[in-house]
Amino acid sequence: MKKIIDALPLVVFASLIIVLFSFLSDKDDQLETALIDSSFPDFNLGSLSDESRVLTKQDIIKLPALINVWATWCIACRVEHPFLMKLKEESRLTIYGLNYKDNKLKALDLLERDGNPFEFSIYDFEGRLAIDLGVYGAPETFFIDKNGLIRERHVGVIDEKVWEEKFSKYLNE
Amino acid sequence: MNKLIFFLLFIICSMQISVEEKVNFDNEAYPFASDVQESLFYSLLNELRCPKCQSSNLAGSNSPISNDLKREVYELVVEGKSSKQIKDHLVDRYGNFIIYNPPIEPATYALWFGPFILILLSVLVIIFVRKRIT
Repeated sequence: MKKIIDALPLVVFASLIIVLFSFLSDKDDQLETALIDSSFPDFNLGSLSDESRVLTKQDIIKLPALINVWATWCIACRVEHPFLMKLKEESRLTIYGLNYKDNKLKALDLLERDGNPFEFSIYDFEGRLAIDLGVYGAPETFFIDKNGLIRERHVGVIDEKVWEEKFSKYLNE
Repeated sequence: MNKLIFFLLFIICSMQISVEEKVNFDNEAYPFASDVQESLFYSLLNELRCPKCQSSNLAGSNSPISNDLKREVYELVVEGKSSKQIKDHLVDRYGNFIIYNPPIEPATYALWFGPFILILLSVLVIIFVRKRIT
């Protein structure tokens, strides 16, 4: 009994170190998503390609869909661009873009050069819809199910692995 | 006696001296109709956390997302929303992460009660050890 009690501080200390070290390697910087299972927020913003066109929630009609937050200043967005193109070709999913705090001309240039995976892109220069979505960086991707509810969110590059792990299951519902 | 002084010094040194960050803003950028609204605005900027730069509040950050959130808070303050309404508005979008003062709920029990449990454990250990010595 005495031995156990003598060893106790060491055991507590050692387990504390192990726990804290495991937090160190935990590089997951995904914040919780407050919007899971809530409906897509209302918005009223211009279209990236057509200045005169005003887009609202009612324009997101082809469901289920992905909403992808992107910008030309965001390097990771370029990394995932080919995957979005592939996704558009291969699945029955519609992808809508949310062009976030970007230069319009540069954004249009990029779509011209590298291809346009988006049904349309909402032009959110002031980051208004982004705030309503809880966006804190680009790229971010949201899955909207056939009822218009946000089901999943991913912060960072979306690729084959992320798609399989986080998103594909909602498509088969 | 020496031990007591050492103990007190230790306590004083480990106390975090909390000084409200005085951030000089361009008052022109955020004009207010009343002082009440103005002080609400600045106190909220101190209490709300920048989601991108995770160890800074909105007042101490100049990142684009922080500036957008400052504008959001500003507009809500001017609309006459209360401190609680504004915090709820942001928590609905960003989760509890956005506030530096998280609510007491199962996910935060360890955060709120952990220190007290540690104190209790330490006291128990001290009592136990002293008993054994005497």
